[in-house]
Amino acid sequence: MPDFLSLFSVLFLPILITVILVYGLKQKVAIYDAFIEGAKEGLKTCVDILPFLIGIFIAIEALTCSGAMDFIESAVSPVFRLFGIPEELISVIFLRPISGSGSLVVVEKVMELCGPDSFAGRAAAVMVGSCETIFYVLALYFSVTAVKKMRHAFLSGIIGYFVGILASIYICRFL
Amino acid sequence: MMNYIWGGMLLLGIIFSILHQDVSAFTDGLMSSCTEAVEFMLSLAGIMAVWSGLMKIAEEAGLISKISKTVMPLMSWLFPKEKNPQIISMMIMSFMANIFGAGNSATVFSLKAMELLDEENGHSPYASNAMCMFIALTMSMIQLVPIAVIKIRSDLSSASPEDIILPSILAGLASMIASVWVCKIFERKSPDA
Repeated sequence: MPDFLSLFSVLFLPILITVILVYGLKQKVAIYDAFIEGAKEGLKTCVDILPFLIGIFIAIEALTCSGAMDFIESAVSPVFRLFGIPEELISVIFLRPISGSGSLVVVEKVMELCGPDSFAGRAAAVMVGSCETIFYVLALYFSVTAVKKMRHAFLSGIIGYFVGILASIYICRFL
Repeated sequence: MMNYIWGGMLLLGIIFSILHQDVSAFTDGLMSSCTEAVEFMLSLAGIMAVWSGLMKIAEEAGLISKISKTVMPLMSWLFPKEKNPQIISMMIMSFMANIFGAGNSATVFSLKAMELLDEENGHSPYASNAMCMFIALTMSMIQLVPIAVIKIRSDLSSASPEDIILPSILAGLASMIASVWVCKIFERKSPDA
């Protein structure tokens, strides 16, 4: 089953590209010209999002490198203990919403410390596998729009995130 | 709101670096992270250009409207007002790319979808219901094979690195149901701003 899934994941992009190219040729589209035209638009979007990326990156770095993040973590960890969440997972829970690469580093540390097949190690892995970098996504996605008020996008993200976290922990207790 | 969050994050960082008597860590972090942001943009730029180019071909060939017709029944419950075939296809492409673990490609499709949704929303400062639903879905979209974690697990000689796949999918589904449910509640309260 996992092999089949991995194979599917590896093949997805090549198959998609093949379908697009073949279909384009069949419909007699000037595929090279269309490609160049589209690529130009894509690069424009890239330049548009750069200021937002810089803004997000420095704010996240400010929190993590100054130790502010560690302080917040230790301040709220009693609440997490009430829910039966192991201590080691708290930094994963806090870092995951803001930084994809940062949370992977923490997950690696948890697995080194507790072992990859321990409860904490598995729960950390499942969290990263099932929960997204929500703050980063919110900031980046709205950066290409004129939106100033995100309305319920924020709340649904947070609630979904915590449901995912709790589900990771409880599922790992049983599976 | 973003103003306070962003300002707060930076100021909190400065205050804590002073408290820890390690202000240089803050400065170094700031300098390296803005370089990282540019590097990340550059790494995204190639993929962004490739997918935007390929999508242009798909659009001109009529593939986009074909895809959107196929997935319409599925999407019309989530996005009752969405009729634009291009938006529908971009959203479905983004979901697919997410599911198959092509994160950066998913970002490209999502940004394109957001741009189009913004146009449809008349560049309003208030997010539309469709935007919220789309973001809620991408934020909780499951990934069939979370390859990065599996790699770490096998590097640390786990007995079976892949046995987190099913739990991840289940937890991801739980998270997705919760976010969609929250969105639907808000949609009922305010049909569209």
